[in-house]
Amino acid sequence: MEISWLQAILIGLFACLSSMPGMGGTSIGNYTLGRPLIGGLVCGIILGDISTGVLVGCAMQVVYIALVTPGGTVSADVRAVSYIGIPLAMVALSSYGLGAESTEGAALATSFGTMVGTLGTVLFYGTATINLLWQHIGWKAVEKRDYKKLYLVDMGLPWISHLACSFIPTVIMCKLGANVVEIIKTALPMDGLAMKTLFTVGALLPCVGIAILLKQIVKSAVDFVPFFFGFALAASLGINLVSATVVAGMFAVINYRIKMLAVKKAESGGFEEEEEEEI
Amino acid sequence: MEKKLSKKALSKSFHNWYYGHLTCFSQEHMQTFGYLCSMLPLVEELYDNEEDKAKAMNTYTAFFNTEPQLGTVIVGITAGLEEARANGAEDVDEETINGLRAGLMGPIAGIGDSLVVGTVIPILLGIAMGMSTGGSPLGAIFYIIVWNLFAYFGMRFMYFKGYQLGGKAVDFLVGPQGEALRESISMLGGIVIGAVSATWVSVKTSLQLKNDDGEAYLVLQDKLDSVFPGLLTSIFIVACWYLMAKKQLSPIKVMLLLVVVAFLGALTGFFDPGLAY
Repeated sequence: MEISWLQAILIGLFACLSSMPGMGGTSIGNYTLGRPLIGGLVCGIILGDISTGVLVGCAMQVVYIALVTPGGTVSADVRAVSYIGIPLAMVALSSYGLGAESTEGAALATSFGTMVGTLGTVLFYGTATINLLWQHIGWKAVEKRDYKKLYLVDMGLPWISHLACSFIPTVIMCKLGANVVEIIKTALPMDGLAMKTLFTVGALLPCVGIAILLKQIVKSAVDFVPFFFGFALAASLGINLVSATVVAGMFAVINYRIKMLAVKKAESGGFEEEEEEEI
Repeated sequence: MEKKLSKKALSKSFHNWYYGHLTCFSQEHMQTFGYLCSMLPLVEELYDNEEDKAKAMNTYTAFFNTEPQLGTVIVGITAGLEEARANGAEDVDEETINGLRAGLMGPIAGIGDSLVVGTVIPILLGIAMGMSTGGSPLGAIFYIIVWNLFAYFGMRFMYFKGYQLGGKAVDFLVGPQGEALRESISMLGGIVIGAVSATWVSVKTSLQLKNDDGEAYLVLQDKLDSVFPGLLTSIFIVACWYLMAKKQLSPIKVMLLLVVVAFLGALTGFFDPGLAY
Protein backbone atom coordinates (compact mmCIF):
# COMPACT_ATOMS: atom_id res chain seq x y z
CA MET A 1 0.00 0.00 0.00
CA GLU A 2 1.34 3.38 -1.02
CA ILE A 3 0.19 6.67 0.52
CA SER A 4 -0.11 9.45 -2.08
CA TRP A 5 0.80 13.09 -1.44
CA LEU A 6 -2.85 14.10 -1.43
CA GLN A 7 -3.70 11.39 1.09
CA ALA A 8 -0.74 12.35 3.27
CA ILE A 9 -1.79 16.02 3.19
CA LEU A 10 -5.37 15.19 4.19
CA ILE A 11 -4.13 13.04 7.06
CA GLY A 12 -1.79 15.89 8.04
CA LEU A 13 -4.74 18.29 8.27
CA PHE A 14 -6.59 15.95 10.58
CA ALA A 15 -3.46 15.70 12.73
CA CYS A 16 -3.55 19.51 13.17
CA LEU A 17 -7.18 19.40 14.26
CA SER A 18 -6.98 16.46 16.59
CA SER A 19 -4.23 16.75 19.13
CA MET A 20 -4.19 18.15 22.64
CA PRO A 21 -3.93 21.26 22.16
CA GLY A 22 -5.58 20.93 18.74
CA MET A 23 -7.18 23.30 16.32
CA GLY A 24 -10.48 21.44 16.47
CA GLY A 25 -11.00 22.39 20.12
CA THR A 26 -10.97 19.63 22.74
CA SER A 27 -14.48 18.27 22.24
CA ILE A 28 -14.30 17.87 18.48
CA GLY A 29 -10.54 17.72 18.13
CA ASN A 30 -8.93 15.84 20.96
CA TYR A 31 -11.88 13.83 22.25
CA THR A 32 -13.45 13.01 18.89
CA LEU A 33 -10.99 13.13 15.98
CA GLY A 34 -8.06 12.25 18.21
CA ARG A 35 -9.55 8.99 19.53
CA PRO A 36 -7.91 6.10 17.64
CA LEU A 37 -11.30 4.55 16.82
CA ILE A 38 -12.36 7.74 15.01
CA GLY A 39 -8.85 8.23 13.60
CA GLY A 40 -9.16 4.72 12.19
CA LEU A 41 -12.38 5.62 10.43
CA VAL A 42 -10.89 8.86 9.05
CA CYS A 43 -7.67 7.18 7.87
CA GLY A 44 -9.74 4.32 6.46
CA ILE A 45 -11.84 6.74 4.42
CA ILE A 46 -8.79 8.67 3.18
CA LEU A 47 -6.80 5.54 2.32
CA GLY A 48 -9.78 3.77 0.81
CA ASP A 49 -10.09 0.83 3.21
CA ILE A 50 -12.64 1.68 5.88
CA SER A 51 -12.88 -1.76 7.40
CA THR A 52 -9.11 -2.12 7.97
CA GLY A 53 -8.94 1.43 9.31
CA VAL A 54 -11.69 0.82 11.84
CA LEU A 55 -10.19 -2.51 12.95
CA VAL A 56 -6.75 -0.96 13.45
CA GLY A 57 -8.41 1.94 15.26
CA CYS A 58 -10.25 -0.46 17.59
CA ALA A 59 -7.05 -2.36 18.40
CA MET A 60 -5.25 0.86 19.32
CA GLN A 61 -8.22 2.38 21.09
CA VAL A 62 -7.90 -0.15 23.89
CA VAL A 63 -4.40 1.07 24.72
CA TYR A 64 -5.58 4.68 24.81
CA ILE A 65 -9.04 4.16 26.25
CA ALA A 66 -8.26 6.36 29.22
CA LEU A 67 -5.97 9.00 27.87
CA VAL A 68 -6.27 11.52 30.68
CA THR A 69 -3.95 14.50 30.57
CA PRO A 70 -4.00 15.70 34.17
CA GLY A 71 -2.47 19.16 34.37
CA GLY A 72 -1.17 18.92 30.83
CA THR A 73 1.16 15.95 31.23
CA VAL A 74 0.88 13.40 28.47
CA SER A 75 2.19 9.89 28.10
CA ALA A 76 1.27 9.67 24.45
CA ASP A 77 0.19 12.09 21.78
CA VAL A 78 -3.10 11.31 20.07
CA ARG A 79 -2.24 13.05 16.81
CA ALA A 80 0.76 10.75 16.49
CA VAL A 81 -1.18 7.65 17.53
CA SER A 82 -4.16 8.29 15.29
CA TYR A 83 -2.70 10.00 12.24
CA ILE A 84 0.84 8.64 12.06
CA GLY A 85 0.48 5.31 13.86
CA ILE A 86 -2.72 4.14 12.18
CA PRO A 87 -1.68 4.89 8.57
CA LEU A 88 1.69 3.23 9.19
CA ALA A 89 0.03 0.22 10.81
CA MET A 90 -2.28 -0.07 7.81
CA VAL A 91 0.71 0.02 5.47
CA ALA A 92 2.50 -2.56 7.61
CA LEU A 93 -0.51 -4.88 7.64
CA SER A 94 -0.84 -4.83 3.89
CA SER A 95 2.90 -5.27 3.48
CA TYR A 96 2.97 -8.27 5.82
CA GLY A 97 -0.20 -9.61 4.29
CA LEU A 98 -1.93 -9.85 7.67
CA GLY A 99 -5.64 -9.35 8.11
CA ALA A 100 -6.58 -6.58 10.51
CA GLU A 101 -9.21 -8.75 12.16
CA SER A 102 -6.69 -11.42 13.17
CA THR A 103 -5.05 -11.39 16.60
CA GLU A 104 -1.63 -11.03 14.97
CA GLY A 105 -2.83 -8.11 12.91
CA ALA A 106 -4.17 -6.34 15.99
CA ALA A 107 -0.93 -7.00 17.87
CA LEU A 108 1.18 -5.63 15.03
CA ALA A 109 -0.99 -2.54 14.76
CA THR A 110 -0.85 -1.95 18.51
CA SER A 111 2.95 -2.22 18.68
CA PHE A 112 3.42 0.13 15.75
CA GLY A 113 0.90 2.64 16.98
CA THR A 114 2.14 2.72 20.55
CA MET A 115 5.74 3.12 19.50
CA VAL A 116 4.83 6.08 17.31
CA GLY A 117 2.48 7.50 19.94
CA THR A 118 5.12 7.48 22.64
CA LEU A 119 7.67 9.13 20.38
CA GLY A 120 4.96 11.60 19.40
CA THR A 121 5.01 13.12 22.88
CA VAL A 122 7.78 15.29 21.42
CA LEU A 123 5.18 16.84 19.11
CA PHE A 124 3.01 17.76 22.10
CA TYR A 125 5.81 19.59 23.87
CA GLY A 126 6.89 21.17 20.59
CA THR A 127 3.45 22.67 19.96
CA ALA A 128 3.11 23.90 23.52
CA THR A 129 6.54 25.54 23.38
CA ILE A 130 5.94 27.33 20.08
CA ASN A 131 2.62 28.59 21.48
CA LEU A 132 4.62 30.54 24.06
CA LEU A 133 5.64 32.87 21.21
CA TRP A 134 2.01 33.65 20.39
CA GLN A 135 1.18 34.08 24.05
CA HIS A 136 3.97 36.63 24.26
CA ILE A 137 2.22 38.58 21.49
CA GLY A 138 -0.99 38.11 23.49
CA TRP A 139 0.41 39.68 26.67
CA LYS A 140 1.65 42.65 24.62
CA ALA A 141 -1.86 43.05 23.23
CA VAL A 142 -3.39 42.97 26.72
CA GLU A 143 -0.95 45.66 27.83
CA LYS A 144 -1.87 47.85 24.88
CA ARG A 145 -5.57 47.08 25.42
CA ASP A 146 -5.80 45.75 21.90
CA TYR A 147 -8.12 42.98 23.02
CA LYS A 148 -9.39 41.95 19.56
CA LYS A 149 -5.94 40.57 18.93
CA LEU A 150 -6.56 37.90 21.59
CA TYR A 151 -8.75 36.02 19.13
CA LEU A 152 -5.88 35.87 16.67
CA VAL A 153 -3.53 34.71 19.40
CA ASP A 154 -5.87 32.05 20.76
CA MET A 155 -7.41 30.71 17.57
CA GLY A 156 -5.29 31.86 14.62
CA LEU A 157 -1.58 31.83 15.30
CA PRO A 158 -1.42 28.34 16.86
CA TRP A 159 -2.04 27.02 13.33
CA ILE A 160 1.61 27.89 12.70
CA SER A 161 2.67 25.71 15.64
CA HIS A 162 0.64 22.90 14.13
CA LEU A 163 2.11 23.38 10.69
CA ALA A 164 5.52 22.75 12.22
CA CYS A 165 4.62 20.09 14.80
CA SER A 166 1.62 18.27 13.33
CA PHE A 167 1.30 18.78 9.61
CA ILE A 168 4.88 18.42 8.40
CA PRO A 169 5.84 15.45 10.63
CA THR A 170 2.65 13.60 9.69
CA VAL A 171 3.08 14.13 5.95
CA ILE A 172 6.73 13.09 6.07
CA MET A 173 6.05 10.01 8.17
CA CYS A 174 3.17 8.92 5.94
CA LYS A 175 5.34 9.28 2.84
CA LEU A 176 8.40 7.59 4.33
CA GLY A 177 6.40 4.99 6.23
CA ALA A 178 6.09 2.48 3.43
CA ASN A 179 9.87 2.41 2.99
CA VAL A 180 10.51 2.11 6.70
CA VAL A 181 8.12 -0.82 6.94
CA GLU A 182 9.97 -2.52 4.05
CA ILE A 183 13.30 -2.02 5.82
CA ILE A 184 11.97 -3.45 9.08
CA LYS A 185 10.52 -6.37 7.19
CA THR A 186 13.83 -7.32 5.57
CA ALA A 187 15.89 -6.67 8.69
CA LEU A 188 13.66 -8.56 11.11
CA PRO A 189 12.23 -11.89 9.99
CA MET A 190 8.75 -12.79 11.24
CA ASP A 191 9.77 -15.88 13.17
CA GLY A 192 12.76 -14.16 14.79
CA LEU A 193 12.91 -13.18 18.44
CA ALA A 194 12.55 -9.45 17.74
CA MET A 195 9.27 -9.85 15.89
CA LYS A 196 7.95 -12.32 18.45
CA THR A 197 8.70 -9.75 21.14
CA LEU A 198 7.07 -6.99 19.11
CA PHE A 199 3.89 -8.99 18.66
CA THR A 200 3.81 -10.03 22.31
CA VAL A 201 4.26 -6.41 23.39
CA GLY A 202 1.34 -5.54 21.15
CA ALA A 203 -0.84 -8.01 23.02
CA LEU A 204 0.36 -6.83 26.44
CA LEU A 205 0.13 -3.05 25.92
CA PRO A 206 -3.66 -2.76 26.15
CA CYS A 207 -3.31 -3.93 29.77
CA VAL A 208 -1.60 -0.62 30.54
CA GLY A 209 -4.45 1.33 28.97
CA ILE A 210 -7.04 -0.51 31.05
CA ALA A 211 -4.88 -0.17 34.16
CA ILE A 212 -4.64 3.62 33.73
CA LEU A 213 -8.41 3.69 33.73
CA LEU A 214 -8.67 1.43 36.75
CA LYS A 215 -6.35 3.77 38.59
CA GLN A 216 -9.11 6.37 38.31
CA ILE A 217 -11.90 4.10 39.51
CA VAL A 218 -10.31 1.68 41.95
CA LYS A 219 -9.57 3.17 45.35
CA SER A 220 -9.79 -0.03 47.38
CA ALA A 221 -9.91 -3.75 46.60
CA VAL A 222 -13.74 -3.77 46.66
CA ASP A 223 -13.78 -1.44 43.66
CA PHE A 224 -12.33 -4.28 41.61
CA VAL A 225 -15.61 -6.18 41.93
CA PRO A 226 -17.53 -4.21 39.25
CA PHE A 227 -14.54 -4.60 36.93
CA PHE A 228 -14.42 -8.37 37.31
CA PHE A 229 -18.19 -8.55 37.13
CA GLY A 230 -18.01 -6.90 33.71
CA PHE A 231 -15.08 -9.10 32.75
CA ALA A 232 -17.03 -12.23 33.65
CA LEU A 233 -20.10 -10.99 31.75
CA ALA A 234 -18.10 -10.81 28.56
CA ALA A 235 -15.53 -13.59 29.02
CA SER A 236 -17.62 -16.25 30.75
CA LEU A 237 -21.15 -15.46 29.65
CA GLY A 238 -20.25 -14.12 26.22
CA ILE A 239 -22.42 -11.02 26.51
CA ASN A 240 -21.55 -8.31 23.98
CA LEU A 241 -20.49 -4.79 24.93
CA VAL A 242 -23.77 -3.01 24.28
CA SER A 243 -25.72 -5.53 26.37
CA ALA A 244 -23.06 -5.41 29.08
CA THR A 245 -23.57 -1.64 29.24
CA VAL A 246 -27.32 -2.12 29.71
CA VAL A 247 -26.74 -4.58 32.55
CA ALA A 248 -24.19 -2.18 34.07
CA GLY A 249 -26.69 0.68 33.76
CA MET A 250 -29.23 -1.28 35.77
CA PHE A 251 -26.75 -1.78 38.59
CA ALA A 252 -25.79 1.90 38.48
CA VAL A 253 -29.44 2.92 38.83
CA ILE A 254 -29.92 0.62 41.81
CA ASN A 255 -26.76 1.94 43.42
CA TYR A 256 -27.90 5.54 42.87
CA ARG A 257 -31.33 4.89 44.40
CA ILE A 258 -29.77 3.30 47.48
CA LYS A 259 -27.30 6.14 47.93
CA MET A 260 -30.03 8.72 47.53
CA LEU A 261 -32.12 7.06 50.23
CA ALA A 262 -29.25 7.64 52.64
CA VAL A 263 -28.80 11.22 51.44
CA LYS A 264 -32.49 12.04 51.75
CA LYS A 265 -32.62 10.55 55.22
CA ALA A 266 -29.62 12.60 56.31
CA GLU A 267 -31.01 15.85 54.97
CA SER A 268 -34.78 15.27 55.14
CA GLY A 269 -35.29 18.85 54.15
CA GLY A 270 -35.42 21.23 51.21
CA PHE A 271 -32.57 20.05 49.07
CA GLU A 272 -32.80 21.74 45.73
CA GLU A 273 -33.45 19.33 42.94
CA GLU A 274 -31.62 19.93 39.72
CA GLU A 275 -31.70 18.21 36.44
CA GLU A 276 -28.53 16.42 35.46
CA GLU A 277 -27.75 15.13 32.05
CA GLU A 278 -27.21 11.43 32.04
CA ILE A 279 -26.58 9.04 29.27
CA MET B 1 -29.85 51.40 35.01
CA GLU B 2 -29.24 47.77 35.87
CA LYS B 3 -26.83 46.17 33.41
CA LYS B 4 -27.80 42.79 32.08
CA LEU B 5 -25.77 40.57 29.80
CA SER B 6 -27.54 39.86 26.53
CA LYS B 7 -28.20 36.30 25.43
CA LYS B 8 -26.03 37.03 22.40
CA ALA B 9 -22.97 38.04 24.42
CA LEU B 10 -23.34 35.04 26.73
CA SER B 11 -23.68 32.74 23.79
CA LYS B 12 -20.58 34.20 22.15
CA SER B 13 -18.68 33.86 25.39
CA PHE B 14 -19.75 30.24 25.69
CA HIS B 15 -18.73 29.42 22.13
CA ASN B 16 -15.36 31.08 22.57
CA TRP B 17 -14.78 28.80 25.54
CA TYR B 18 -16.27 25.72 23.88
CA TYR B 19 -13.91 26.03 20.96
CA GLY B 20 -10.94 28.04 22.15
CA HIS B 21 -10.17 26.94 25.71
CA LEU B 22 -7.10 24.97 24.73
CA THR B 23 -6.22 25.99 21.19
CA CYS B 24 -3.34 28.15 22.41
CA PHE B 25 -2.02 25.84 25.11
CA SER B 26 1.38 26.19 26.65
CA GLN B 27 2.79 24.59 29.76
CA GLU B 28 3.11 28.05 31.31
CA HIS B 29 -0.36 29.55 30.79
CA MET B 30 -2.51 26.54 29.84
CA GLN B 31 -6.13 27.74 29.49
CA THR B 32 -5.53 31.40 30.38
CA PHE B 33 -5.90 32.70 26.82
CA GLY B 34 -9.01 30.68 26.24
CA TYR B 35 -10.46 32.26 29.36
CA LEU B 36 -9.56 35.78 28.18
CA CYS B 37 -11.25 35.17 24.83
CA SER B 38 -14.30 33.85 26.59
CA MET B 39 -14.63 36.86 28.90
CA LEU B 40 -13.96 39.45 26.17
CA PRO B 41 -17.49 39.60 24.67
CA LEU B 42 -18.93 40.00 28.19
CA VAL B 43 -16.51 42.72 29.24
CA GLU B 44 -17.09 44.62 26.00
CA GLU B 45 -20.82 44.60 26.59
CA LEU B 46 -20.72 45.49 30.26
CA TYR B 47 -18.28 48.40 30.23
CA ASP B 48 -18.18 51.44 27.96
CA ASN B 49 -15.11 53.08 29.33
CA GLU B 50 -11.64 51.81 28.34
CA GLU B 51 -10.34 52.07 31.89
CA ASP B 52 -13.03 49.73 33.27
CA LYS B 53 -12.56 47.27 30.43
CA ALA B 54 -8.84 47.07 31.13
CA LYS B 55 -9.48 46.58 34.84
CA ALA B 56 -11.93 43.76 34.15
CA MET B 57 -9.77 42.00 31.56
CA ASN B 58 -6.80 42.24 33.84
CA THR B 59 -8.63 40.02 36.33
CA TYR B 60 -8.59 37.12 33.91
CA THR B 61 -4.89 37.26 33.11
CA ALA B 62 -4.34 35.05 36.18
CA PHE B 63 -3.34 31.44 35.46
CA PHE B 64 -6.20 29.07 34.77
CA ASN B 65 -6.40 25.35 34.09
CA THR B 66 -9.06 22.77 34.79
CA GLU B 67 -10.95 19.97 33.08
CA PRO B 68 -12.43 21.98 30.20
CA GLN B 69 -15.80 20.24 29.77
CA LEU B 70 -16.95 20.39 33.37
CA GLY B 71 -14.90 23.55 33.95
CA THR B 72 -17.39 25.43 31.77
CA VAL B 73 -19.40 25.90 34.95
CA ILE B 74 -16.62 28.11 36.35
CA VAL B 75 -16.71 30.35 33.25
CA GLY B 76 -20.47 30.62 33.69
CA ILE B 77 -20.09 31.58 37.34
CA THR B 78 -17.55 34.31 36.54
CA ALA B 79 -19.90 35.65 33.86
CA GLY B 80 -22.48 36.14 36.60
CA LEU B 81 -19.91 37.68 38.93
CA GLU B 82 -18.63 40.08 36.28
CA GLU B 83 -22.19 41.23 35.69
CA ALA B 84 -22.61 41.82 39.41
CA ARG B 85 -19.34 43.75 39.52
CA ALA B 86 -20.44 45.96 36.61
CA ASN B 87 -23.58 46.76 38.56
CA GLY B 88 -21.43 47.96 41.42
CA ALA B 89 -21.80 45.03 43.83
CA GLU B 90 -19.65 45.92 46.83
CA ASP B 91 -18.38 42.47 47.65
CA VAL B 92 -17.29 41.43 44.16
CA ASP B 93 -13.81 42.52 43.22
CA GLU B 94 -10.80 41.09 41.45
CA GLU B 95 -9.77 39.22 44.55
CA THR B 96 -13.09 37.42 45.08
CA ILE B 97 -13.33 36.44 41.41
CA ASN B 98 -9.82 35.07 41.27
CA GLY B 99 -10.13 33.45 44.67
CA LEU B 100 -13.19 31.61 43.45
CA ARG B 101 -11.54 30.61 40.18
CA ALA B 102 -8.43 29.33 41.91
CA GLY B 103 -10.47 27.53 44.54
CA LEU B 104 -12.71 25.77 42.03
CA MET B 105 -10.30 24.76 39.29
CA GLY B 106 -8.66 22.03 41.38
CA PRO B 107 -11.75 20.15 42.56
CA ILE B 108 -13.52 20.55 39.21
CA ALA B 109 -10.46 19.18 37.43
CA GLY B 110 -10.46 16.16 39.73
CA ILE B 111 -14.15 15.43 39.26
CA GLY B 112 -14.04 16.20 35.53
CA ASP B 113 -11.02 14.04 34.80
CA SER B 114 -12.52 11.02 36.49
CA LEU B 115 -16.11 11.60 35.34
CA VAL B 116 -15.74 12.86 31.76
CA VAL B 117 -12.39 11.53 30.58
CA GLY B 118 -12.17 8.57 32.91
CA THR B 119 -15.77 7.32 32.72
CA VAL B 120 -18.11 8.83 30.13
CA ILE B 121 -15.66 8.72 27.21
CA PRO B 122 -14.47 5.14 27.91
CA ILE B 123 -18.09 3.93 28.26
CA LEU B 124 -19.04 5.53 24.94
CA LEU B 125 -15.89 4.16 23.33
CA GLY B 126 -16.61 0.72 24.77
CA ILE B 127 -20.09 0.67 23.24
CA ALA B 128 -18.73 2.09 19.99
CA MET B 129 -16.03 -0.60 19.78
CA GLY B 130 -18.70 -3.22 20.35
CA MET B 131 -20.64 -1.82 17.42
CA SER B 132 -17.52 -1.62 15.25
CA THR B 133 -16.55 -5.26 15.70
CA GLY B 134 -15.59 -6.67 12.33
CA GLY B 135 -14.62 -3.29 10.94
CA SER B 136 -18.02 -1.62 10.64
CA PRO B 137 -17.88 2.20 10.75
CA LEU B 138 -21.15 2.23 12.69
CA GLY B 139 -19.52 2.38 16.13
CA ALA B 140 -17.23 5.25 15.19
CA ILE B 141 -20.17 7.20 13.80
CA PHE B 142 -22.19 6.45 16.93
CA TYR B 143 -19.39 7.84 19.10
CA ILE B 144 -18.96 10.98 16.98
CA ILE B 145 -22.66 11.83 17.23
CA VAL B 146 -23.38 10.87 20.84
CA TRP B 147 -20.21 12.31 22.37
CA ASN B 148 -20.46 15.62 20.54
CA LEU B 149 -24.12 16.15 21.38
CA PHE B 150 -23.36 15.27 24.98
CA ALA B 151 -20.31 17.55 25.13
CA TYR B 152 -21.93 20.53 23.41
CA PHE B 153 -25.25 20.53 25.24
CA GLY B 154 -23.69 19.40 28.51
CA MET B 155 -21.20 22.26 28.42
CA ARG B 156 -23.89 24.73 27.41
CA PHE B 157 -26.03 23.55 30.29
CA MET B 158 -23.11 23.92 32.71
CA TYR B 159 -22.31 27.43 31.45
CA PHE B 160 -25.84 28.77 31.87
CA LYS B 161 -26.38 26.97 35.18
CA GLY B 162 -23.19 28.57 36.42
CA TYR B 163 -24.34 31.99 35.22
CA GLN B 164 -27.80 31.67 36.80
CA LEU B 165 -26.94 29.96 40.06
CA GLY B 166 -23.42 31.23 40.72
CA GLY B 167 -21.63 29.26 43.41
CA LYS B 168 -24.70 27.11 44.04
CA ALA B 169 -24.15 25.36 40.71
CA VAL B 170 -21.04 23.78 42.15
CA ASP B 171 -22.74 22.72 45.37
CA PHE B 172 -24.68 20.20 43.37
CA LEU B 173 -21.53 18.74 41.82
CA VAL B 174 -19.62 18.36 45.05
CA GLY B 175 -22.65 17.76 47.29
CA PRO B 176 -23.99 14.38 48.45
CA GLN B 177 -26.37 13.96 45.51
CA GLY B 178 -23.59 14.67 43.05
CA GLU B 179 -21.37 12.23 44.87
CA ALA B 180 -24.01 9.48 44.72
CA LEU B 181 -24.42 10.10 41.01
CA ARG B 182 -20.68 10.12 40.38
CA GLU B 183 -20.22 6.92 42.32
CA SER B 184 -22.98 5.18 40.35
CA ILE B 185 -21.59 6.33 37.01
CA SER B 186 -18.16 5.19 38.06
CA MET B 187 -19.59 1.76 38.91
CA LEU B 188 -21.19 1.62 35.47
CA GLY B 189 -17.80 2.56 34.05
CA GLY B 190 -16.05 -0.18 35.99
CA ILE B 191 -18.39 -2.89 34.66
CA VAL B 192 -18.13 -1.66 31.06
CA ILE B 193 -14.36 -1.48 31.27
CA GLY B 194 -14.31 -5.05 32.55
CA ALA B 195 -16.35 -6.12 29.54
CA VAL B 196 -14.11 -4.10 27.20
CA SER B 197 -11.01 -5.81 28.64
CA ALA B 198 -12.48 -9.27 28.26
CA THR B 199 -13.51 -8.54 24.68
CA TRP B 200 -10.50 -6.64 23.38
CA VAL B 201 -7.50 -7.57 25.48
CA SER B 202 -6.08 -11.02 25.07
CA VAL B 203 -2.92 -12.21 26.77
CA LYS B 204 -2.27 -15.85 26.04
CA THR B 205 0.55 -18.18 26.93
CA SER B 206 1.79 -20.90 24.64
CA LEU B 207 3.44 -22.88 27.44
CA GLN B 208 2.87 -26.63 27.19
CA LEU B 209 4.37 -29.53 29.02
CA LYS B 210 4.80 -32.61 26.86
CA ASN B 211 5.30 -36.24 27.76
CA ASP B 212 7.79 -38.55 26.05
CA ASP B 213 5.48 -39.28 23.12
CA GLY B 214 5.26 -35.60 22.34
CA GLU B 215 1.70 -35.29 23.56
CA ALA B 216 0.88 -32.23 25.58
CA TYR B 217 -0.40 -33.23 28.98
CA LEU B 218 -0.55 -29.72 30.33
CA VAL B 219 -1.66 -26.78 28.25
CA LEU B 220 -1.32 -23.88 30.66
CA GLN B 221 -3.67 -21.56 28.81
CA ASP B 222 -6.54 -24.07 28.99
CA LYS B 223 -5.89 -24.74 32.67
CA LEU B 224 -5.97 -21.04 33.45
CA ASP B 225 -9.12 -20.49 31.43
CA SER B 226 -10.86 -23.31 33.25
CA VAL B 227 -10.30 -21.43 36.50
CA PHE B 228 -11.60 -18.12 35.18
CA PRO B 229 -11.82 -17.33 31.48
CA GLY B 230 -9.28 -14.65 30.66
CA LEU B 231 -7.39 -15.19 33.93
CA LEU B 232 -3.98 -14.37 32.46
CA THR B 233 -5.31 -11.17 30.91
CA SER B 234 -6.75 -10.07 34.25
CA ILE B 235 -3.52 -10.89 36.06
CA PHE B 236 -1.59 -8.65 33.70
CA ILE B 237 -4.11 -5.82 34.06
CA VAL B 238 -4.08 -5.99 37.85
CA ALA B 239 -0.27 -6.14 37.84
CA CYS B 240 -0.11 -2.99 35.68
CA TRP B 241 -2.61 -1.30 37.99
CA TYR B 242 -0.53 -2.29 41.01
CA LEU B 243 2.68 -0.90 39.51
CA MET B 244 1.05 2.40 38.60
CA ALA B 245 -1.29 2.94 41.54
CA LYS B 246 0.76 1.45 44.37
CA LYS B 247 4.33 1.73 43.12
CA GLN B 248 3.76 5.10 41.40
CA LEU B 249 5.43 4.02 38.16
CA SER B 250 4.63 6.16 35.12
CA PRO B 251 2.74 4.49 32.23
CA ILE B 252 5.84 4.79 30.05
CA LYS B 253 7.94 2.86 32.57
CA VAL B 254 5.28 0.16 32.82
CA MET B 255 5.22 -0.11 29.03
CA LEU B 256 9.00 -0.49 28.95
CA LEU B 257 8.76 -3.15 31.63
CA LEU B 258 6.25 -5.01 29.47
CA VAL B 259 8.72 -4.91 26.59
CA VAL B 260 11.22 -6.68 28.86
CA VAL B 261 8.57 -9.19 29.97
CA ALA B 262 7.61 -9.82 26.35
CA PHE B 263 11.24 -10.36 25.38
CA LEU B 264 11.84 -12.82 28.20
CA GLY B 265 8.56 -14.53 27.47
CA ALA B 266 9.37 -14.92 23.79
CA LEU B 267 12.84 -16.17 24.68
CA THR B 268 11.57 -18.87 27.01
CA GLY B 269 8.60 -19.86 24.90
CA PHE B 270 6.03 -18.62 27.42
CA PHE B 271 4.75 -16.25 24.74
CA ASP B 272 4.73 -17.29 21.12
CA PRO B 273 2.57 -15.47 18.61
CA GLY B 274 3.14 -18.44 16.31
CA LEU B 275 4.03 -16.50 13.21
CA ALA B 276 5.87 -17.59 10.12
CA TYR B 277 5.98 -16.55 6.53
